[in-house]
Amino acid sequence: MKEPRKIPFIASQPETEVDSELRFHLEQRIQANVANGMSPEEARRAAMERFGDVEGVRDECARILAEDRRTHARREWLDDLGQDMRFAVRAALRSPVFTALAVVTLALGIGANAAVFGVVKSVLLNSLPYSDADRLMRIRSPIKALGEDRGSLSAGTISDLRERQKSFTSFGAWLPERDMIYDPGDQPQIVKARWVEPSLFTTLGVRPVLGQIFTDADGLRDTAFNVMIPWHTWQRVFAGAGNVVGKTVRLNNIPRTVVGVLPRGFVMPEEGADYYMPINMAPQMRDPISVRGSHNFGMVGRLKPGVTAEAANAELNKIGDELEKLYAKDNLGIGLMARPLRDAIVGDTRTPLLVLLASAGLVLLITCANLAGALLSRTISRRKEFAVRVALGAGRGRLVRQLLTESVLLSMAGGIAGVVLAMILLGMLRGLSLRAIPNYADLSLDTGAIVVTFLLALLTGVAFGLGPALSVGRANPQGTLRDETRGSTESVRSRRMRGMLVAGQIALCVSLLAAAGLLARSLWTMINAPMGFNADNMLTFTVPLPGRYNAATTRLAFKEDFEQRVKALPGVKGVAIAGGLPTRITNSNGIFLQSRPWEANEPVPFITTSRVNDDYFRTLGIPLIAGRTFNASDGPDAPPVMVITEAFAKKYFPNADPLGQQVRYGPPDPNQPWTTVIGVVGNVRNNPLALSPEPLMFFSQRQQPFGEAFAIRTSAQPKALIATVRATLRAIDPGLPMYQVKTMEELVAEGFAARKLPVMLMGAFGALALLLASVGVYAMFTSMAAAREREFSVRIALGASRRSVAALVLRQGGLWMLIGLVAGAGGIFVAARLVSSQLNGVPAFDPLTIGGAVLVLLTCAGLALMVPVRRATRADPITVLR
Amino acid sequence: MFDKESGLLQGTVELLVLKTLSWGPMHGYGIASWIESVTSDALSVEEGSLYPALYRMAKKRWITAEWGLSENNRRAKYYRLTAEGRRQFREQMTGWRRFASAVDQAIGSTVAPSWAK
Repeated sequence: MKEPRKIPFIASQPETEVDSELRFHLEQRIQANVANGMSPEEARRAAMERFGDVEGVRDECARILAEDRRTHARREWLDDLGQDMRFAVRAALRSPVFTALAVVTLALGIGANAAVFGVVKSVLLNSLPYSDADRLMRIRSPIKALGEDRGSLSAGTISDLRERQKSFTSFGAWLPERDMIYDPGDQPQIVKARWVEPSLFTTLGVRPVLGQIFTDADGLRDTAFNVMIPWHTWQRVFAGAGNVVGKTVRLNNIPRTVVGVLPRGFVMPEEGADYYMPINMAPQMRDPISVRGSHNFGMVGRLKPGVTAEAANAELNKIGDELEKLYAKDNLGIGLMARPLRDAIVGDTRTPLLVLLASAGLVLLITCANLAGALLSRTISRRKEFAVRVALGAGRGRLVRQLLTESVLLSMAGGIAGVVLAMILLGMLRGLSLRAIPNYADLSLDTGAIVVTFLLALLTGVAFGLGPALSVGRANPQGTLRDETRGSTESVRSRRMRGMLVAGQIALCVSLLAAAGLLARSLWTMINAPMGFNADNMLTFTVPLPGRYNAATTRLAFKEDFEQRVKALPGVKGVAIAGGLPTRITNSNGIFLQSRPWEANEPVPFITTSRVNDDYFRTLGIPLIAGRTFNASDGPDAPPVMVITEAFAKKYFPNADPLGQQVRYGPPDPNQPWTTVIGVVGNVRNNPLALSPEPLMFFSQRQQPFGEAFAIRTSAQPKALIATVRATLRAIDPGLPMYQVKTMEELVAEGFAARKLPVMLMGAFGALALLLASVGVYAMFTSMAAAREREFSVRIALGASRRSVAALVLRQGGLWMLIGLVAGAGGIFVAARLVSSQLNGVPAFDPLTIGGAVLVLLTCAGLALMVPVRRATRADPITVLR
Repeated sequence: MFDKESGLLQGTVELLVLKTLSWGPMHGYGIASWIESVTSDALSVEEGSLYPALYRMAKKRWITAEWGLSENNRRAKYYRLTAEGRRQFREQMTGWRRFASAVDQAIGSTVAPSWAK
C-alpha cells in the first residue's frame, strides 16, 4: 500500500476531529452504494443503517480522544521537564566557571536575604514564649520631662492602678535585677537575682518544668526563702539534676530553697536573671518614703477579653493623670501607659532590622540584574545552538522554557548554598549574643523560613532568566544561521536590555552605598566625638558589697582602705570610685533650684547623677572648669556639696555664676537642706549614642557612700593589673568578688555595639553590591567592545585614532552609567529617608557621604571598564579583518 | 453472530484492525471495507462500532493517527501500526490461533464423554 500524502496536523476539538472522520466514512460509503446502482436517497439510508448509532459512536470516540490528549499532555510536560533538566545540567557542566560564579553570586545574594530574614522572623514574627502573648501589655510610667517613655513604676502607683483599672485581668510586677553573692562553698560568685511578684508567672502563662511556681504566700515574708531557677541555672549550677526541687542555695549568705524550675524557652520581659525571688507589694507599701518616691518596678498586665490595647492605654493615661494630681509631690511629670509587650521588647530593633532587610533585598536585585546580564552574554554566544534547535523544530516556547529551567536550576543551587551560608551566619550571630537582639529570638531558620528562601530563589531564577530567555525566543534563526561571519553582533534590543540592567545595578548600588555610608559616618561621628574623659589605660570593675557593709561608715571605710592600697600598687596612677562610670551612669534625680522654683505645671527635670570619690575627676581626666572638686573637707557632717557639668550650668544657671547656687534633689522636701554647687567640670557624654552631652551632677562619696564601680588609671596595659588588684581586694575581705572586669575602652565600645552590627552588615552588603555592579559594568563594556570589534578595526585601519575609538565605546557605555546614576539619585533619596531615624550628627542628605558613594562607585566602575576599553583600542585590524 | 457487548467481539475487532494495518496505513473506512471483504461480510457488525475500537487502540499507543489525503484527494485520518502494535498483532494472532484450534478440536471431537455412555 502506498504512503498517503501527509497534511499538517491541526489540533482541533475532539468532537470536530471525530466528526470529520465519521463524515468521511459515511460519504465514502454513500459513494460506493451509488456506484453499486442505488439512488442517492437509498444509498444514504443504507450507509447510515450499516454504520449504526452515529451520535453514540461520535460521543464515545470524542470522550476517549479527550482523555488520551489529557494524559498525553501531562506526560509530555513531565518528559519535557526531565529533558530540560538534563539539558540544563549538561549546559551548566559545559561551562563550569560560569556556573560556579553564578552559584556563588546567588548564594551570597540569597544567603544574605535568608540570614536577615531569619533574624527578622525570630524577632518580629515569631510569637513570644508566653501563652496568648498578644494579650500581654507592658505597663510603664513615662517621664514627660525627659521625653522618656520607659520609666518604671512606684509601689504606690501599682497599688492604685490595680484598684482603679478595668482593662486587665491580672498583673505581674518585678524589681530591677540585683547582684547577689552565691557561695557554693569554695569561691563566692556574683549572680543576678530578680524579685518578682508570684502573679508574674501566672500572668505570663508560664508553667514550671519541675516543682511549682510561687504562691502568694511566698511573697508574704520579708525575706525570700523560696527561689525559682531558670533553665540555664538548672543546667549550669545543678547539672540538670532531677531532684533539684527542695535543694538549698546560699544567696547573700541566706539559705534559700529551690521550689521550681522555669521552662527552657522562658524569658523575662526584661533582662533575665539567674534566680527569681518572690516579692509582695504589701511590705513595700509600708515604707512611707519609697512607696511613691522610688520608681523602680517593671510590670506586665494581661488584657481582659474584648479590651483593645488602645482602650487599655487610654484608661492608663487617664489613671496616670489622676495620680499625678493626687500625688503631685512624687508623680509630677509622670504618667502611665501600656503598649503591647512585643513592641516593648522589640523596641528600637525594628527599624534597623527593616533597613537591613531592605538592603539585603537590594543586593538580591543587583544579583538578579547582574546574572541577567551574564546570561544575556551567554545566550548570545549560544545563539547558533538555539537557531539550530529552532530550525530542527523546537518551538520558541520550548526554547524559552528550556532557558528558564537553566536559570531556575542555577538559582536553586544558589538557594541551597545560600541557606547553608545563612545558617552559618546565624550561628555566628548567636555566638555574639548581642544585646541588640531580644533574648527570646532563637535566630534560626525554621521550615517556614527555608520555604520562603526557596520561593525567593525560584523567583530570582525566573527574574534573571526571563529577559535573556525571551530575547532568544524573539531571535530570527534563519538570520543567525546564515550570518556565518558576522554572527557576533549584538542586536539593538539585547544591547539596550544589557544597558538597562547595568543602569539598574548602578542605581541600586549607589543607593545602598549611600545608606551604608550614612550609617557608617553617623557611627564614626559618635565614636570620634569627644567623650569628655580619657578612656585609655583604665581598668574598670565593680565590687558588690553584701549586707554586712550596709552601714555608711563601714562602706566608706572599706572604700578608703581599698583606694589607698590600690593607689600604692606600682603602675597605678589614680583610682576613681563612683555609683556609675561614664556611659553607664543610670541613676537620676529630680532637681529644685533655689534661684528659680518650677511653675505648678512645669515638670520637674530629672538629672543623671553619680556619687564619686575625690580623685574621680582627676583619674578620669574630666577637666575642672570653675570652682573646686570634692576633698577631705566635704565630710559627712559638712554642708552638702555638689559638682555639676558645663551642660548643667548652661541650662539651669544661664545668666548667673553657677558656683554657690543652691539645689535640692530627690522628692520635694522642704526640710531637706540645700546643696551648694562648688564646682563645674567639663561635659561627659554619658549616653554615647547622643552627641550633645546631657547635664550631669555629682555628689561626694564622703557624704553619700553609695556605688561600687571602680576605675583604675594605669601606666601600662590595664588588664595586666587584674591579678594584683584581685589579691589586694582579697587581702581586705576574701568574701568580696571582683565583677564585670573590663577596660574602659571595652566599656565604652559596648555602648556602640548595638549600632555597629547593622553598620557592619550594611557595609558588607554595600561591598557585595559594589563588586557585583563592577562586574556588570565590566561585562557590558566587554560585550560592547567585542560586538563592534570589526567596526573598530575598520575605523583604525581607515586612520581613526585609538583614542577616538575608546571615546566611542565610553560614550555608548557611559550613557547607561549616567542613566543609572540619575535613577540612583531617586534611590538615594529613598534610602536616606529610610535610615534618617538612625542617624546622629549627620544630615540625611550629607553631601560628603553621597558624593563619596558616587565616587567609590565610579572609581570601581572605571577600573572595571578600563580593561575592555583598552582591549577595544588594541584591536589589530589585520587579524580581525582577515 | 457476536453479541455487541461481549469482550470477544472487541478483542476480535482489535485483532482484525491490527491485521489490516499490518499491510500499511489506512483510514477507518478502508479498514472497515477491507475487513468486510476478506470476511465476506460474515461478521456483519455495525461499521460504527469500529471507531471506538480505533480510538481505544490509539490511546493504548498500538496505532497512531495522522491526517492525510485519501485516494480521491479527500482529507482523511490514517492509522498506522506502532512497534507496540506490531508486537500486539503477533501475540494476539498466536493467541487467536490457539483459541480457534482448541475450540475447533473440541467441536470436531468424535469421542463421547464417559458419562454419555
